[in-house]
Amino acid sequence: MKILASLFLISGFFFILVAAIGVIRLPDFYTRLHASGKSETLGMILCFTGLAIYEGFNLTSAKHLIIVIFILLANPIGTHIICREAYRSNLKPWTRKEE
Amino acid sequence: MKNNVNKKVGTSQIKHFIVLTAVLFAFWILLSGKMEAKYLVIGFLTSLISAWVTLPLLRLPSETNKGYYYPFDFPYFRYAFYWLWLLKEIIKANIDIAMVVLSPKLPINPQIVEFKRSMSNPIAHVTLANSITLTPGTITMDVADGVYTIHALTDGAGEALENGQGEMMVRISRIFGEKVEGEPAKQRRGEI
Repeated sequence: MKILASLFLISGFFFILVAAIGVIRLPDFYTRLHASGKSETLGMILCFTGLAIYEGFNLTSAKHLIIVIFILLANPIGTHIICREAYRSNLKPWTRKEE
Repeated sequence: MKNNVNKKVGTSQIKHFIVLTAVLFAFWILLSGKMEAKYLVIGFLTSLISAWVTLPLLRLPSETNKGYYYPFDFPYFRYAFYWLWLLKEIIKANIDIAMVVLSPKLPINPQIVEFKRSMSNPIAHVTLANSITLTPGTITMDVADGVYTIHALTDGAGEALENGQGEMMVRISRIFGEKVEGEPAKQRRGEI
């Protein structure tokens, strides 16, 4: 059980690391949102699932799973709202063609 | 549940009141963790009162303004199965993003894609926009009157949205009992 939990935690850390690297490497605002919006969601989900597995079957692990559901619903909405405000204030996306 | 476009206000208000109370009460039990009668009674009364206060605020107008929907107005089990399917897609999407971000060449070609998809239930729009944000290289930028403006990270992501993404939309339409008529009208604005 501990091995399974640590597998989940390590893969979660990996995706959060990918999100951080993506935010540094990608060229503009929208593409950075891609990295932070998706990879971070999956990383957090994997981390909390790992913690729930480590905890075993009790009330605390149920709370971890509730956190997972909230992240799954709230994180894309937050990403979408940030992106929409940038779009409505006419921030031009970076494109490869203009170079 | 199906074809409830012309639903009048109040026809199923009692049902939604009960569902909302049950959800709030379950949440209370989960967070408190105490099963003594005193706490259960306090929790039940609290959830009853908060459901009564918040139910009018949770009324969502449908797309054509003919009726109302409540946030719990969908088949729960099929919705849960949809999220399980989506979880699989999310993992695939994240592996793609990780490959793009970690590759030395950074093979990205950002573009904006638009398409129209009209659905009556606002929760269906929420689900579709959320799903698009979570799956391969696409973010929902704007949703207005069923027109989705989407930022795609790579060429492949933009193309997958036009061809493969049909599966996601058809699944959502089926869950919410909307009409599935052939292919939805799509157009591509191209690179800007």
